[in-house]
Amino acid sequence: MKFLISLAFKNLTRYKRRTLITAGAIAIGLMMYIFVDSMLMGAEIESVRNLKWFETASARILNNDYWKNRFQRPLDINISEPDKIIDKLNKNGIKATKRTVFSGDMILNSQDFGEDGNMAVVVTAIDTEKDNDVFHFGDTLLEGRFLKPNEDAALLGSWFAEDIGAKVGYWITIVTRGNGGFYEAMDLEIVGIVNCPNPNVNRALLMMPIDTANEYLAMDGASTEINIKLPDSADVESEVHKIQSMLNGDGLTVMSWKAMAVDYLAMAEGKRGGTGIIMFLIFLIAAVGISNTMLMAIFERIRELGMMRSLGMSDKKIRIAFMIEAAGIGLIGSVMGVILGILADIFIVYVGIDYSFLLRDMDIGYRIQAIFRGVWNPGTMVAAFFAGIFISTLVAYFPTKRALRMDIPSCLRHQ
Amino acid sequence: MISVKDVKRVYQTGETEVNALRGVSLDIEQGEFMSIAGPSGSGKTTLLNLIGCIDKMDGGEISIKGEAVSKMKKKEKTNFRRKNLGFIFQTYNLIPVLTAYENVAFVLSLLNLPETEIKERTMAILKEVGLEGMENRRPGKLSGGQQQRVAIARALVKNPEIVLADEPTANLDSDTGKEILELMKQMNKKHKTTFIFSTHDKMVMNYANRLVILHDGQIQSDSGRK
Repeated sequence: MKFLISLAFKNLTRYKRRTLITAGAIAIGLMMYIFVDSMLMGAEIESVRNLKWFETASARILNNDYWKNRFQRPLDINISEPDKIIDKLNKNGIKATKRTVFSGDMILNSQDFGEDGNMAVVVTAIDTEKDNDVFHFGDTLLEGRFLKPNEDAALLGSWFAEDIGAKVGYWITIVTRGNGGFYEAMDLEIVGIVNCPNPNVNRALLMMPIDTANEYLAMDGASTEINIKLPDSADVESEVHKIQSMLNGDGLTVMSWKAMAVDYLAMAEGKRGGTGIIMFLIFLIAAVGISNTMLMAIFERIRELGMMRSLGMSDKKIRIAFMIEAAGIGLIGSVMGVILGILADIFIVYVGIDYSFLLRDMDIGYRIQAIFRGVWNPGTMVAAFFAGIFISTLVAYFPTKRALRMDIPSCLRHQ
Repeated sequence: MISVKDVKRVYQTGETEVNALRGVSLDIEQGEFMSIAGPSGSGKTTLLNLIGCIDKMDGGEISIKGEAVSKMKKKEKTNFRRKNLGFIFQTYNLIPVLTAYENVAFVLSLLNLPETEIKERTMAILKEVGLEGMENRRPGKLSGGQQQRVAIARALVKNPEIVLADEPTANLDSDTGKEILELMKQMNKKHKTTFIFSTHDKMVMNYANRLVILHDGQIQSDSGRK
């Protein structure tokens, strides 16, 4: 075996350029794999974080009938005493905040906006003192200030503000129907603009204080949802189950962020599948390259092969020798690929790729506003390293087998 | 030691059949220094290949040291060659990435011998063929004659009872060819190894103790026939 290994590695130096080109093809394939995996994993981690921090929270308590009617945003299907539930949760060490979400028409007047107009909006009324315990809007303030209790004020997402030409200090009017169906109009001053990293939120965010909204909408202390923050390490489903047991009999349901973000998770799964196909194709190209190199290497050495067989070297040992040689190409390719992958990862992890030109006006599913950053994934690097060697070794098997089908005299006559 | 009985070999080239050997029979004793001669296409290489267990026959029987090699399976033939036969080729067929030492030691490594024995035997045979001090040279740094010496060392290092050489001097100038033949003869005498080599060169034939001439796949004359 020692001789076979030594022979295989010496043969690698026989056609240095070819060995390097093939190893280079493997290296590029592996680098792409490591790079794309890092970027996708980074995108998924950031998306999930941005979902939980700005969209769904870790979990949400809703009236049993709310989820199926959520697109109507009904105010009468609500949680009647949210503060009691929040107290209960707080006593159990769980951070929670109430919100009331309603739809309405936003009227823009020409005095501030240059021309009159109106558009449909979804307003999120938040508990200005507790919202930042669960969500992270307070950290994303771009202009102005955060909302205060009981004021007629609004906070906008920066893309939304940009789209309608809103600035801090402008006034907007929201026309909606209150709890019970009456019409209500509220004049709100834009006091702040937040740059929310979740593009879906930043594109349409309009927030106001919940106590102001409750008064206008006659909610009588009720809210449409309670959002819950769980530690990152928590098993969300089991925590949801515990909270559900805690609320037993209140006509309320607890949903995890996974249940609310089914569309996102399906999209991420689909993208992973699509990327898997691309990765498969990259590996296939590398495999064809290695197979071709091995085929050339073997057919250029047919006479040598005939000599070795004449001297009593078994076909099995010859096959092993060529497979070790291919593994050697794979090893060089894998080492180069992992090094290139690490270099590519340094870029994607610390610099990232700015897709803001694309994401500003297009929803690609990921909850990332601009820069796609990767994460370090040593598992992928190890897997890529061994996959490079394994695939190289595997694809060498077939051309060797083909060459060994020739009889020895034909091998010795081969030119 | 070697018994060839009524051996036939037919090659199929397209739709035509070529009778490379048409019932060749001969007996070869241990220690013979024998030449198989004849013009191109007379069947010299085919006969050597069949004795060397690297080709299959279409009729007849060959036995070596009492073993019917013609009836052996592929693996058995491989094992038999590994232990009993040495080969010398016209184009030397050395592995270019290995040194002279490694090209010779390779044969012993197939026998799974201990490293020390491999080293000892390889160095001894290289010295015997006059390549002392050139062990670490690769074939590309050796002359044609030196390369053929490495090939002879490779064939002899495992002490085989039979060495088969297909036109061993065809690629060498006449002086180097003579040197190689002298070396082979010397080894034949010293080790009592049976040498069977093919040639169509009269000078080479003159070195043989026994000359078998083939013509159109049949033995035309055999100087050793009893």
